[in-house]
Amino acid sequence: MKKALVLLGCPESPSQTPMAVYVTYKLKEMGYDVTTASTPSAMKLLEVGDPEGHYIENKIDIDSCIDKLDKGSFDLLIGFIHKDAAVSYFVTFNSILDATSIAIIFEKDAEKLEDFQNMVSESTNATIVSARAFHNPTPLRVRFDKALKKLNESGEI
Amino acid sequence: MFCLETYLQESDDYKILISRAGFKDCTKVIEENAPEIIYVNAGEKILGARIIGIPPIPVGINEEEGTILFPYTKPCHGTAVVEIPIPQEEIDKVRELNIKGC
Repeated sequence: MKKALVLLGCPESPSQTPMAVYVTYKLKEMGYDVTTASTPSAMKLLEVGDPEGHYIENKIDIDSCIDKLDKGSFDLLIGFIHKDAAVSYFVTFNSILDATSIAIIFEKDAEKLEDFQNMVSESTNATIVSARAFHNPTPLRVRFDKALKKLNESGEI
Repeated sequence: MFCLETYLQESDDYKILISRAGFKDCTKVIEENAPEIIYVNAGEKILGARIIGIPPIPVGINEEEGTILFPYTKPCHGTAVVEIPIPQEEIDKVRELNIKGC
């Protein structure tokens, strides 16, 4: 079974948690075994939102995950980025895994959004899904669906 | 086995040159403050901890003081530049990670 890693950072933006559940749902529908690596605070939000683990089954602390990570550990990396630190974590995970990757970038501030997009595109070959989003995850969901469909049709995932 | 996280929590023998900053600001601090700089790939392990950042990642070496300077990132707290003392043999191991030649 193909394995996907969903990377979550600081859960400051309300869009991250529901989008993480949605992304996990979509990947499981495609046949992926999904693991979520997150900070303790992001993990608590997932546990409260999905108490029986219908969607979020495999969970690991982000720092424990990166410590054990190696090339080939996962076939697909999906990273949520809305802070500078999250860019650093995504680029590092991408560098270690050397797998197909999708960066979901969201920020209220247009300049910061562009900054994060540039940092990711200059350092990785990740497909970028981005939107000015904070409370409302819909723009991200729509763009993520398009990106996933495109990657699936091209055989990359 | 040395654990960087534990060391930073339990020791006070280190310096923080900048904290809660962006990664690019931290690279400037390292490049302006370290007598010797090497560049490493993202994910390399130094003192048992993965270096997180956008490569090429600067790591400063101060052989006279016996310290290294490196970026230290936490998801909710941004990036800091930490300077800690390390033994000479560890400094030599760090130099081997350099990706930008001599």
